[in-house]
Order: sequence, then C-alpha cells, then structure tokens
Amino acid sequence: MPSLDKIKRGCKTRQTFQESPTEFCNKREPKPNGHGPYEVNQREVQNKKGSLSYYYNKFFASGRSRPQAQKSSAAEDEGMDPTQYYENRLKALAAQKVAGNNPYPHKFAASLTIPDYVKKYESLNSGDHLEDVEERLAGRLMNKRSSSAKLFFYDLHGGGAKVQVMTDARKSNLDEEEFTKFHSSVKRGDIVGIIGFPGKSKRGELSIFPKTFIVLSHCLHMMPRQKIGPGSDSAKKTDVWVPGDGRNLEAYILKDQETRYRQRYLDLMLNMEVREIFKTRAKIISYIRSFLDQRDFLEVETPMMNMIAGGAAARPFVTHHNDLNMKLFMRIAPELYLKELVVGGLERVYEIGKQFRNEGIDLTHNPEFTTCEFYMAFADYNDVMELTEEMLSGMVKELTGGYKIKYHANGSDSDPIEIDFTPPFRRIDMIEELEKMANISIPKDLSSEETNKYLAAACVKFDIKCPPPQTTTRLLDKLVGHFLEETCINPTFIINHPEIMSPLAKWHRSKPGLTERFELFINKHELCNAYTELNDPVVQRQRFADQLKDRQSGDDEAMALDETFCTALEYGLPPTGGWGLGIDRLAMLLTDSQNIKEVLLFPAMKPQDEPSTKDSNKKTQDEPPSEELKKNVTLS
Amino acid sequence: MNDENKEFAEIFDNGGFITVGAFSLYKVQELRSNGLDPYAYKWDRTHTANQLQEIYRNLGNGEESNSESDYVSIAGRIVARRAFGKLAFMTLRDDSGTIQLYCEKERLLSGQFEQLKTLVDIGDILGARGSIKRTEKGELSVCVNSFSILTKSLLPLPDKYHGLTDIDKRYRQRYVDMIANPEVADIFRKRAKIISEIRKTVESAGFVEVETPVLQGAAGGAEARPFITYHNSLGQDLYLRIATELHLKRMLVFEIVVEPKLMQPTFVLDYPIEISPLAKPHRRHAGLTERFELFICGREMANAFSELTDPLDQRERLEEQVKQHNKKKAAVVSEMSRAEDENESADDSYNVTLDEDFLTALEYGMPPASGMGLGIDRLVMLLTNSASIRDVIAFPVLKTLQ
Repeated sequence: MPSLDKIKRGCKTRQTFQESPTEFCNKREPKPNGHGPYEVNQREVQNKKGSLSYYYNKFFASGRSRPQAQKSSAAEDEGMDPTQYYENRLKALAAQKVAGNNPYPHKFAASLTIPDYVKKYESLNSGDHLEDVEERLAGRLMNKRSSSAKLFFYDLHGGGAKVQVMTDARKSNLDEEEFTKFHSSVKRGDIVGIIGFPGKSKRGELSIFPKTFIVLSHCLHMMPRQKIGPGSDSAKKTDVWVPGDGRNLEAYILKDQETRYRQRYLDLMLNMEVREIFKTRAKIISYIRSFLDQRDFLEVETPMMNMIAGGAAARPFVTHHNDLNMKLFMRIAPELYLKELVVGGLERVYEIGKQFRNEGIDLTHNPEFTTCEFYMAFADYNDVMELTEEMLSGMVKELTGGYKIKYHANGSDSDPIEIDFTPPFRRIDMIEELEKMANISIPKDLSSEETNKYLAAACVKFDIKCPPPQTTTRLLDKLVGHFLEETCINPTFIINHPEIMSPLAKWHRSKPGLTERFELFINKHELCNAYTELNDPVVQRQRFADQLKDRQSGDDEAMALDETFCTALEYGLPPTGGWGLGIDRLAMLLTDSQNIKEVLLFPAMKPQDEPSTKDSNKKTQDEPPSEELKKNVTLS
Repeated sequence: MNDENKEFAEIFDNGGFITVGAFSLYKVQELRSNGLDPYAYKWDRTHTANQLQEIYRNLGNGEESNSESDYVSIAGRIVARRAFGKLAFMTLRDDSGTIQLYCEKERLLSGQFEQLKTLVDIGDILGARGSIKRTEKGELSVCVNSFSILTKSLLPLPDKYHGLTDIDKRYRQRYVDMIANPEVADIFRKRAKIISEIRKTVESAGFVEVETPVLQGAAGGAEARPFITYHNSLGQDLYLRIATELHLKRMLVFEIVVEPKLMQPTFVLDYPIEISPLAKPHRRHAGLTERFELFICGREMANAFSELTDPLDQRERLEEQVKQHNKKKAAVVSEMSRAEDENESADDSYNVTLDEDFLTALEYGMPPASGMGLGIDRLVMLLTNSASIRDVIAFPVLKTLQ
C-alpha cells in the first residue's frame, strides 16, 4: 500500500510535469487567434489532437518502453512509485486519444443502481447465472484481482454498496488477446460501465458477469488500499453505521486527517461510512425544515453582507463592495433581520444558513458554520423550550429509532457515553443553581461594581481563569461554565440569564435583573440559545448603550447598536419567542464526531505550506474537546 | 407637555436618542401607570383571521354565533379604527388576513372600552377574545369581550389609502412595506414555496443536499469580480464564492441578438468551448460543448452542461482563463499608472490562480455527469410578476443613506 505522503508528493511532481507539456503544446501548435465563437472548426480539434500527439511522442518515441500499464498485472503496480504510476496512466490516456478514442465517454445509462442491484439479486443461489438477463451497472472499481489472463475480478462500488464483477474472457465480446490487453489497462479507482448478466459465484458472492466493459473515467493516481490480511474479514463484517451509533475512525481505510479533510473525495471513496455522516447531516436539516414547515413557519433568506454585524457578539469578516464603494460585514447572525420580518407581519419565520465569524479554527469552530433561527409571534421562551424538546427528541427518535445515542465524549480510547434525549429535558435556573453549586451569594444588583468584585473574587477562590477584560458578563460566563455546564451531559436547559449577558432578551416577568432566556446544553456544549424577544425599543436602546460600555472596557465581543433595528422595534414587534440552533454541533453529536471538520464537507484548513501547520493541526485534533475551546460562541 | 411626559422625554435625551414620538411614549407611560403592560409576554390564540373567515363563511348578515366553541381568541396589528359613543370598530390584520373587531361598551370588561378609545391606536398589536358575529353590512367580526394591548407601536403607519409608494423606503424598511402592502408578503411566501418545490423535486430524484464553502482560498473563476475578505487568525485573504454562469454570458456576442426574442421557455444549445470552460466537448460538433441555457422572457434562467471530466482538457482551459485574466489585469495596472480613476481600475486587480485541488480531484476520476444551475431570484421574479430583483429579495443591498 503506497503511503499517502507518497501520493501527495506524487501530486506535486505531477504539477511540474504537467504544466510544462501543456505550455509547450500551446507554443508548438498555436491555436488560431481572433476567430468568432462559431468559426471553431474541425481543424482546431485536429490541432488539439495534434497537441496530444505531443504527449505520445514525448513518452513513446523517446526510446522508453511502451507503457508498463499495458503489460503489467494489478500486482505489478503495487510496488510502483506513485509518480511513475501517474505518468504511465497519462501515457495510456494520451495513446487512446491519439488512436482517436474518447477516453471520457459522454454517457452511460445504467439500468439500476448498485444498491438496487444488490436488493434485486441477493437472494440468488450460489452458482446461479441468469444469462438471459441483461443489466447495466456503473460505479467505481475499488479492488482488482486476477486469477489468470482470462479471468479478472473487481469490486464495483456505488451508492454505498458494492458488487463483484467477474470478468471472464469467454463471456466477453472481445477476443482473448484484446481482452487481456484491455483488462491490464483497467486500474483500481477507474469508473466503469458494465453490461452483463447477474449471478452468484460458487462461493456465494453476488456478481455481474460482463459482456461489455467500458471505462468511463480514469483514476490517474494510485489509490490508498486497505491492507489485505487477517483483519480484512472482520472489517467486512462490521455493521453499517447508523446515526446514534459510536464511530471508530481507527478502522477507516484512509486515516490521515489532513488528507481526509483536504481531499474529501478520497475520504468519501475509501471510507464508506463518511457518506452516511453527510447523509445524516442532510437528514437533520431536512427534519428541522419539515418540523417548522408543518407548524406554518415560513423559510426566508436574509442578507449575508450587512453594514453592521448585528444580532450577536463576535468578530466579523469585513469585505468591500466595489460599485457602491462600501464596507460590508459578513453576517454573524440573522436575528435582527428576522425580527424585522416579524414586525412586518410574517408571524413565523425561520432561516437555515451560514454565519461567519472571524475567529480561530479548532475542534468546535469553523469560520463559516450553519445555524437555524426561528421566530414565533405571540410565543414566549416557555413555548420555545417545549418546541425544542419536541424537535430534538423527535429528530433523534426518527434518525436512530430511540432516544439514546452513543458519543465518544472522552476520546476514541475511552468507552462512548450515552446521551438521553427523552423529553422533558432538565431545567436549571442559572443564578440560583450557580449560588447553590458554588455555595456563594451573588449581590442582587448584577450590574453593580460590587457584583463585579464579588465574582472576580469567586473566580480566584475556585481557581477559574478569566482573562481580561473581567467584565461581570465574562466572569459569570466562566463560573457558569465551570459549575453548571460541566453537569450538562443529557440535554439541559440553563435558564433565566442576567440582563447584562443578554442584550436582546426580554427582562424576566417576575425576576428582577434576569431575562427570559435559555441555552440548551448537551455534552457540555451549547446547542441552542433562545429567549422571549426584547421588543421594548426604549429598553433595547438602553441595552445597546450598556453593551457599548463593555466594548469600551475592552470586550470586543459586546454587541453593536443597530439603529435600523431599533427603528423597526418602534413600529411594534409582537410578543415573540426566538430560537437559534448550531446545526454543525448537532450533526457532531448525532454522528459521534469530536471534530467539527467531520461534519463539514470542505472544512477551512490552515494553509498547507507552513511547515508547522501539520503538527499543530494534529495536536488540536488529537486533544479531546476542552473547556477552553467551547465557549464564546453565542448562537443567536 | 405635562410633567410625566416631559420626564419621559428627558430619559431619552439622557440616552442621546430622540426618535420616538413623545405622544406615543406618553401612552406607554400611561399604560404602565394603569397597571397595563405595553409589551406583553405572550398571547394564546385559537384562530387566525383567515381561519375564522373560512369557518364562518356561511354566517348570514346580522347573525351571531356565541356558543362556547364560537368563543375565539385572535391577535394581530390594528390597521384601521373608528370609534363612536359606545361602539368602536377596528380592523385587525394577522399573517393570514384581516377581521373586524366589534367593540361594544356593554360587552367589554369594565373600563376596557375607555382604554380602547384612549390608549389603542392604529399600528398597535392587540390580542382579543370574543364571540363571532357578521354585521348587517356583511363584515365578519369578533365581538370583543376582552382585549389586551400586546405591543404598543410608537411610530405612525404609512397612510392607509395611499400606502407606501416611496420605493427606496420600501426596500430599506421592508417591514413597513409589508405592513402597508400585505401582498408583498405573498411574494416571499411564493419564494419559499418555489424553493421548497425545487428541493422536493431533487430530493425525490435521490439527490442529497450539501453545503459547500462560501469562503475560499482562491478566487473561483476569472469571469467575475469576487468579494475579498481577510481571516485574522489564518492571516490570509479569502474570497467569497461566485456564480460563474451569469458572468460568462457577457462574453457571448450572439446572445445579445437572440436573448430578447426568447419569450417562451427556450433552451439555447451547444455553446462554443471558449465561453464554456467547465463543459464537456460536444460528442458530434467540433468546437462546441454540450451545454444549454434556458431563456424565459428574454432572461437567462438556467445554465447546464455535460460536465468536463477530462483533467488534461480541464487544465488547459483553466490555464487559458488565468492567462486571459492576467492579461487583463496587466492592462489595468498599466492603465492605473496613467489614469487616476481608481475605482474602475481596481476591478480586475485581484488574483486568479489555477485551482489545483479541483484538477487533482478530476485526476482521481469523475463519472460522466451533468450539472445544472438555476437563478432562483429570476425564477421568483418571473412567477411573481416582479419587475425588479429587489422585489423578491427581502433586504436588498442599497446605497448608504447620506
């Protein structure tokens, strides 16, 4: 099995190799210049082919032997240098083009998918051959074995299933010599179309027996391979992963995280489970959507670029609109726009979409991430808590069949923990519970200097670090993180946050200084943030003014005043319950992922060229989620 | 201005914000001093206005329904109001439609009629309970027994009869637009429905919905100016993804002639290779690609092709694109050294690099595939009879107000 480092090196070598011939071709065979779009004629195509003949000449006429691929069997390729392998494949391709063949056919119509084929024929008996039936399958060859020059076996993968291809020279439309030559050129990783009949081998393996075998697309690189050995049998027997199950990344064929995330297509090709992860992500989103649609919520789209990054407290991305010559911020939350729509009379709205935060990349943070926010007129946070329970427990039930999931909260080496989504979820009153757990008594006026000093002293007492600025908000946040969030394994609502922490939440109807807000924590991580929306414009302006004070004292995560939004409130926002959910984090939970990159198809990666990158990445990825990494994202 | 009112105005003065009508603020104050909450926490409603209109469609003029099941609760914004001695009519509008509130002094809880007359204004959001009646004039009404001001509006709504005609304000304050012109909300309902139907169609055909990055390390294509931003902790410029298809067609000469004539849905087929860098060469016609664009009403709606899967061909085409871009960029730079118009010249000064990652992916083999892109805003414009793209985007980007 070639190491992936080698493959990557191979890519780089390929680049220098590849760029020059193309350039050279262009020089040697200049394309006619200045023609209109319809003047392109046959001549140019011949020129193109001519330019391909350059490849041919370069490799075939230079005294080297004919491409090794044409002679070698599958086994011979194994020891080959990846660069050599790649070059050989290019030569074979060039040769095909020179011969006037199109190595990339336009279309192959499959009669059914591979999973459907398996379903249709898995009940055949060993040795059955349905020679009168014709089926057409397409997929990627992930394994190649030959027992003789007249008999080749392949594994054909597609749609998450596989079937054996048993290619017998006697059943083929080709003569024997052609057959052998053709099949030596077919490589693991190639995408093929097969027309043949179904059957089962004597050993009981469901197969297709090709009459026609067409390569549709070529894999020019050597693919990483699963080691064949005593372990391979047990690997085969592994049950298919379903949401709620624990995962074992160590069992993956392609393990290298850098490669898995940077070349996701390899991850998807080689690690069968990965497609299920992303299907699960799609199902989660689809469940949320239909849950809200059924309750008459309207899905809307609000701007991703704003003049003010409002609705949350986070560092935004800045960009510039050329035409308008205007500075714009990428949104950090859709909240203010959605509430403006409720003012406009859309009583139930939601948006599922990307938010952007210009912050570090780690196990639970990606610069762009997906949230769902909904706003529901005439409802309060109690109603929204019930909806949350209903949505999440219902989703887990639908995806997993039960309310309990397995999650490797303590790393892959430890046993997974069980998280129980059975409703109702536990509710804990933030300040009350904090006082009880820490055995402290916080002064009633939370915005006072006295409280700030008291909390700073408490942090010192319990050895809880709070880097400056030590605003009351930040101190409380650290204490709550330490004493309360740590206890939230099963879904738990932490409720009734202080006003100073919650500039967009409505003051509590009966508890002075507090708001009607909840955060949902699962496995110590914040999943949801919701509240009875503050709709008094006078109070809202005051809260923004207070935030400004925090900002001036150095907390750059304090919220900015949005005048447009305050004006909208003056037209009257009905009593409204609002809610935000971090979809990536939910997807992480339901797919037993400890790294957010596992649930993002193309996660943001540090630039590859920095020599320190790989090491520092590894470090982050190997660590279990830590307290430090978790905070500072407020979802809504 | 009485003392209370003055005091209130001063509160705002201290905060540095005076944008709110002092009179409305006075009413807020008065509500509070009467023990009423101008910003209620919640309201349980039994029906929407439209549900009532449906249920009582057959109720005759002058008839009342006041059995227990006819005791309903509704909520919405007051958009019209007429008060007489012991009778007041209000029109309440919610998400679904409108219904009249029939407010008779004797039927209301004690004191509420006075409150209604003095404290409730057009624009306020109200919750009301009562039984059902159709007036002699045929207006379905809720005979109000009790009501509650849920949210006090502080600003006057646009004139009822003339509506909101200031186009700029319609886009800048979409919520005012929606309050004044209820049909605006229908556009966004249709928009949601259109997207939902597209989603259903592709899902039922077995497609999986995915999310790909908006922020990218390299500018995606050479045909459109990207937005550029900067990631602090990576210390790296990032580009916002662009849709290529809309920009490509600018380069297409013949379209300018053909496009405006294509009123009925029409596929224009097989575009030249030069303007289709990601499309597969046509299987029969040299120099062309297997590509189509869908035109409706003279506008491009969709762009699709057999995807180019040959990594060598793809590399050549992308290299050509980069070359063209750099040529243009070089021209712009030399222009810039002469001219002073910086805004114009900055347009093409961004870098376009060859997308090696994409090419490497193709080298691992992509099956024959076709792809389609659809401009949803344009489709919504077409299906909602909207002349401007701003009509189908809830919050369009606008110039800064001076």
